Amino acid sequence: MVLNVDSLAKRYGEQAALADITFAVRASEIVGIIGPNGAGKTTLLEGLAGILPMDSGDIRWCGKPLPPSRRREAIFYVPDGVRPYRDQSVDRVLTFFADVYRRSVDEIVHTIESTGLAPALGKRVQSLSKGYHRRLMLALGLLTPHAMLVMDEPFDGFDLRQTRDIADVLRREAATGRTLALAIHQLADAERVCDRFILLADGRIRGAGTLNDLQVQTGLAEGSLEDIFLALT
Amino acid sequence: MRSHEMFRVQDAPLRPLLVKQLWEIVSGRALWTMLLLVCPLIGYSFFQAMSLYGEASATAQQSQVLARTLSPLDGVLVPTLGASYLAVTLLFPFVAIRVLGQEKESGALRLLVQLPYRSATLVGAKLAAVLAAWTLANIPAFSMLVIWSMSGGHLSAPETWNLFFGHLLYGLLVGAIALFSASVSESAATAAIVTLAFTIGSWVLDFTVAGRPGLLEWIAALSLTQVLRTFEQGLLSVGLVLGTVAVLSGFAALATVWLPPGVPTRLKVMRSAVCICATAIVLGLASQIAVSIDVTEDRRNSFPVSDQRVLAKLGEPLVVTVHLAPEDPRYADLQRNVLAKLERVLPRMTVRLAGGNPSIVTYADDDFYGEVEYSYGSRTDISRSTSPREILPLLYGLANISPPALAPGSDYPGYPLIARRWFPLLWFFGGLPLLIIFAWWWSCRPSRSLALVSQGRSRHESR
Repeated sequence: MVLNVDSLAKRYGEQAALADITFAVRASEIVGIIGPNGAGKTTLLEGLAGILPMDSGDIRWCGKPLPPSRRREAIFYVPDGVRPYRDQSVDRVLTFFADVYRRSVDEIVHTIESTGLAPALGKRVQSLSKGYHRRLMLALGLLTPHAMLVMDEPFDGFDLRQTRDIADVLRREAATGRTLALAIHQLADAERVCDRFILLADGRIRGAGTLNDLQVQTGLAEGSLEDIFLALT
Repeated sequence: MRSHEMFRVQDAPLRPLLVKQLWEIVSGRALWTMLLLVCPLIGYSFFQAMSLYGEASATAQQSQVLARTLSPLDGVLVPTLGASYLAVTLLFPFVAIRVLGQEKESGALRLLVQLPYRSATLVGAKLAAVLAAWTLANIPAFSMLVIWSMSGGHLSAPETWNLFFGHLLYGLLVGAIALFSASVSESAATAAIVTLAFTIGSWVLDFTVAGRPGLLEWIAALSLTQVLRTFEQGLLSVGLVLGTVAVLSGFAALATVWLPPGVPTRLKVMRSAVCICATAIVLGLASQIAVSIDVTEDRRNSFPVSDQRVLAKLGEPLVVTVHLAPEDPRYADLQRNVLAKLERVLPRMTVRLAGGNPSIVTYADDDFYGEVEYSYGSRTDISRSTSPREILPLLYGLANISPPALAPGSDYPGYPLIARRWFPLLWFFGGLPLLIIFAWWWSCRPSRSLALVSQGRSRHESR
């Protein structure tokens, strides 16, 4: 296991946003964190990335403790719902990230190709459509060298064909040895791309494992992820 | 295949971060709007200053004594840069807040704090961007210097640099406060309110309680605008510079503490307390440093060199007891003409107001009112004068030393000038705003800087 999360918890006043979250992630796999809106997916991802303080719990990287201040050395988190650097052009934002992580021009061009960002390179970020904005965020994530990439709603804003394309990009990225954790609320999208699932509802894990594991766990031998999720929550 | 080794935070280059900060400053509207507003402000102040200076110069053409009183520092630079002070107080916070506030509002901060830079490096880069913004915002002020010189006006380099240095410190101080405000506020609007509370609050303090005795005097000294006063008088005060740098470093440190969203609030409060204590200690130490350099060409803050040399030899403490209320104009004269100059040359001097910090009303029945008592060693003398011409011989008498001989040829000549006034109006209300609009347009044009644009496109299209 590359990442071990043990008893992570977060409260906002009386409300428990996350409670007793324990799971593990293997190297090079794509883990889907599945749940409806308000399940605690974003809170969990921000806690993993160390940009939201947790009340309790431990995270270990390759068996060693990984305190919040050092999470950015192993994990990069691509948040949802942010429009960074609105007044900058897309190529300038990409260049900034590439320069910070000392990426070569070939690597940048490869990222642009794989995310289909080429037509938007000269545009300002604020003028991008939702789909291109998601591509930009994905490209920023792909340009980082971190062993684990955590993404919040990576398919939001894409149509079916685009979702399939981006799912292929993510699969290719995982094939290079990178570990991905994706928070997804569209179960069909999650089933398409993820190797394993962590089902989250009301801040608690309701089930975890591959689709087969979850089918056995729920007794739904032919059940889809949607059926399983409804059975467990 | 990728390894699962961790990325080393110390490895990241600084240049991309600085370039990105500069582009963020230049690509926003706030800086350009401020520049366009500063142009007429500086222009009108400069025009007014030149007019008044020209009128005084016309009179001075008939009198060399009058000509000696004409200094470009007082007549032109300080009043013109008063407009710059106004702009930095009221407009610059919006430019400086943008450096961090926009990233907080757009959510980009969550990306920024994951980049391989320490929080202090991020805040340092943002402070560098504030410095760049201040420099750009002062282009109208710098152009004023060029116009003044081209018009035949005299500029003393030490005076001019010192004055701009004071404005730079004030600008950075406002910028550091803006960064701190942006780091603790969720929105740029809230950050603006917090910063303006500091800057406008200082402004209000300045004209409501300044010059009042006692606690009010102490409160007035906390005003940010006090930073500028000493520089405007032509003094480079080591203690003031250190104190100002300590305060702006303190605000930058607080911004560093509050920047990372992943740190619990309790821990941030504890770290803030440490920052505040450290700043207070440095500020306290800086206030004890009385060293200052008179950079004025007319040496208005110093006695003549020959007197300075003799006074520096006085080894015993001098105690001055003043029977004047602080709001009495004679006290202001005495302070400016004698006491301030003596304090710079006699570190062991003590000034006491008789009866604490009384007002004119409480002095109504004081028969000694108006007297100033000078005690040196075991000898004492009294004078009602506020002029160094009378006080210095009195001091030499107390110290039992001979007055120095007068050094000839060291008089300040004065720099009267009647300059043409139409060109500044054309420049500040026409030429410079047009140049600024052109630069704004240039910064907004689509980016075509990277080879990857064409490479990426061609590959994409060929697929």
